[in-house]
Amino acid sequence: MKTLLTVQNLKKSFKDKEALKGISFEVYRGEIMAILGPNGAGKSTTIRNIMGIMYPDSGEVHFHQQSGEGIPKSKIGYLPEERGLYKDVKVMDILLYLADLKNYPLDKAKRRIFMYLKKFDLEGKENTSVEELSKGMSQKVQFIGAILHEPELLILDEPFSGLDPVSQEIFKEEISSLAANGTAILLSSHQMNLVEQMCDRLFMIQHGQKVIYGTLDDVKKQYASFKCILHGQNPPALLRKIPDVDRIEYNGTRSILHLPKGVIPHYWLKQLPDELDVQELHINRISLHEIFIDIATDKHLISQKGGSQDAEFLEGSKMGNET
Amino acid sequence: MQNSLKVAKWEMKRNLKNKTFVIGLFITPALFILFFFLSSLFSSDSDDTENMTVYINEDLGIFEEIEALNAEYDFGWDLHSTDVLKTEVTEVNEAYTAYLFINEQSLEENRIATYTSDESDPLFPGQLQALTAPLQMLKAKGSGLNEHEINQLMEPIVFVEGTNQGAAVGEDNTVTALENSWESLLPGIFAGVILLSITFTGMAIFQSASQEKKDKIAEIILSSLTPSELMQGKIIGYFVLGLIQVAVFVTILLPFIIWQTDIPILEYLFVPRTILFVFIALLSYLMFAAIFVGVGATMSDVSSAGNLQGFVMMLPFVPFVIAGPVISNPDGVIATVSTYIPFTAPSVLLMRLSLLDSWPWLEIVISLVVIVLSIFIFMKIAGKIFKVGILLYGKNATPKEIWKWIRI
Repeated sequence: MKTLLTVQNLKKSFKDKEALKGISFEVYRGEIMAILGPNGAGKSTTIRNIMGIMYPDSGEVHFHQQSGEGIPKSKIGYLPEERGLYKDVKVMDILLYLADLKNYPLDKAKRRIFMYLKKFDLEGKENTSVEELSKGMSQKVQFIGAILHEPELLILDEPFSGLDPVSQEIFKEEISSLAANGTAILLSSHQMNLVEQMCDRLFMIQHGQKVIYGTLDDVKKQYASFKCILHGQNPPALLRKIPDVDRIEYNGTRSILHLPKGVIPHYWLKQLPDELDVQELHINRISLHEIFIDIATDKHLISQKGGSQDAEFLEGSKMGNET
Repeated sequence: MQNSLKVAKWEMKRNLKNKTFVIGLFITPALFILFFFLSSLFSSDSDDTENMTVYINEDLGIFEEIEALNAEYDFGWDLHSTDVLKTEVTEVNEAYTAYLFINEQSLEENRIATYTSDESDPLFPGQLQALTAPLQMLKAKGSGLNEHEINQLMEPIVFVEGTNQGAAVGEDNTVTALENSWESLLPGIFAGVILLSITFTGMAIFQSASQEKKDKIAEIILSSLTPSELMQGKIIGYFVLGLIQVAVFVTILLPFIIWQTDIPILEYLFVPRTILFVFIALLSYLMFAAIFVGVGATMSDVSSAGNLQGFVMMLPFVPFVIAGPVISNPDGVIATVSTYIPFTAPSVLLMRLSLLDSWPWLEIVISLVVIVLSIFIFMKIAGKIFKVGILLYGKNATPKEIWKWIRI
């Protein structure tokens, strides 16, 4: 795969706080690379440094296959986290202006605007004033503005925030199809389920530092051990007898058994005691969401500690995050 | 530069499509013309309905002369000769009516008995003063002086300053002096109109820069261009908008003024000094534009402007405050000092150059240098403030923060 963007040892401080402590990663053509991390971890700062909206204290941002110095702004599409549109203008006018700023031919832009408005269920809205759009519609227009000029690199900072599930799905499909057509996509998001469905690789930061970097599968292999969800009337004493279990969460008839790293699921299944009441049984890897919460709460992998108190806390924070 | 022009084009297009702007464009000249007509309507009203009816009882044969004066000065008096005696008139009941009693005795005593109705033209007492000259002439003739002696006596005494000793001062001279003053004032007034309208349009930059933050679009725009390109684009865009405003003013008002007055405006306007004056006006725009765009970028909401921002908004109005002293004494201390202060320099320079007969070239040069230097400095500072401020969403920057950005 061709590398399009290399970020090398990026450092940035605000006042006495070090926001980025040496961030390095690459983005390839045709892939979706997710940049994850809790609020304040340094995602937006990293992105702003790539876009040249902020300047790093040290480190390098390199765009490959570029003639000339600097940031090839006309080849990048950017949807910032803090975003909006001029209020007193028409949808068509603002989109054409954004395309013009990217040096994109206007007649072509116009055709694409109509195409995307239709695609995003905004057909006939081209002459509507921006202030009359709902928040979701406005988000779609901003998204069109970011992809209108056929960028080679698309940077999306929280593209899904504030969208309903239907629109999320439309965005997701569009992003995936752009990547399939060769666009390199750098995506920051808190919607772990979406990231898990879409991204090829991910980079997770916490406190301005790299925590995880790799393909989704690798990350899962490395960090996500298996868990077994068991429905049935099983006394805790019985469950505790099961070998190779790190810790158990009890939740009425539903118990979650966390398995240690390296356990092979179908071998482990064979050791289950005969008297176990199984109404339902699932074996999954821990989701990206759980890994994320793990890291965000600085627990660094549940499996090493154990104890149901931790687990309950975890459940709680998970609920909080999903709302 | 290309990007700046795109921004400029956008700002222009956006404003020209904006109803508020378009209405504002035409409302000022429209108001001007409206007020002109209203005032002429009222004054012609008074001409029609409030003309004084003046009854004159005289035995000196001066009635015709008064009639001639009435026509010459356009008093609009309705003159009647009357035989009514002074003793019969104690009170004038008819409105807008006056009685004058002119005879040998009144000439002797220098008192003309006058009876005026309670309701009368307020200008009437002043108009009466026009009668003193022929009456004095009459009195002088009566005392046996000849024509030459009378002229000598009636000639006003004039104090002549300095080097103009040779010039005789007469009625002809004062008329030319008045026309000359139009000639020297017009380029200044013209440049003043340009200065005011583009400076005020420039204040819209303030709004525009803070709007960028309020609408949270700054980061999207800055992904395509640099902050300084955005800033320059705004300055250029609003500059052209200001010129459009001036053009609308001129195309509406100039024909109107030429039609309504008999000042040869075009002749007075197309003189070399107009170029200098307009140049000063444009410099003034650049200076205030830099200040406004910089400060505008520190605010996310105009309505919650802090002290500093409010103070900056007031800067273009400072020249109005000192206009009085400057006009009454264009060579005075206030005028001279304010020529060197950046915020007041352009306007004060315009006022002084329009009023002064001989130009203080050294002061002009120093003042222009001050203006150009401050434009340079303000642009630099505005660039720094703009770069950081434009991305600071949701709050207004404090003076302390702004100072920090400038020092970076």
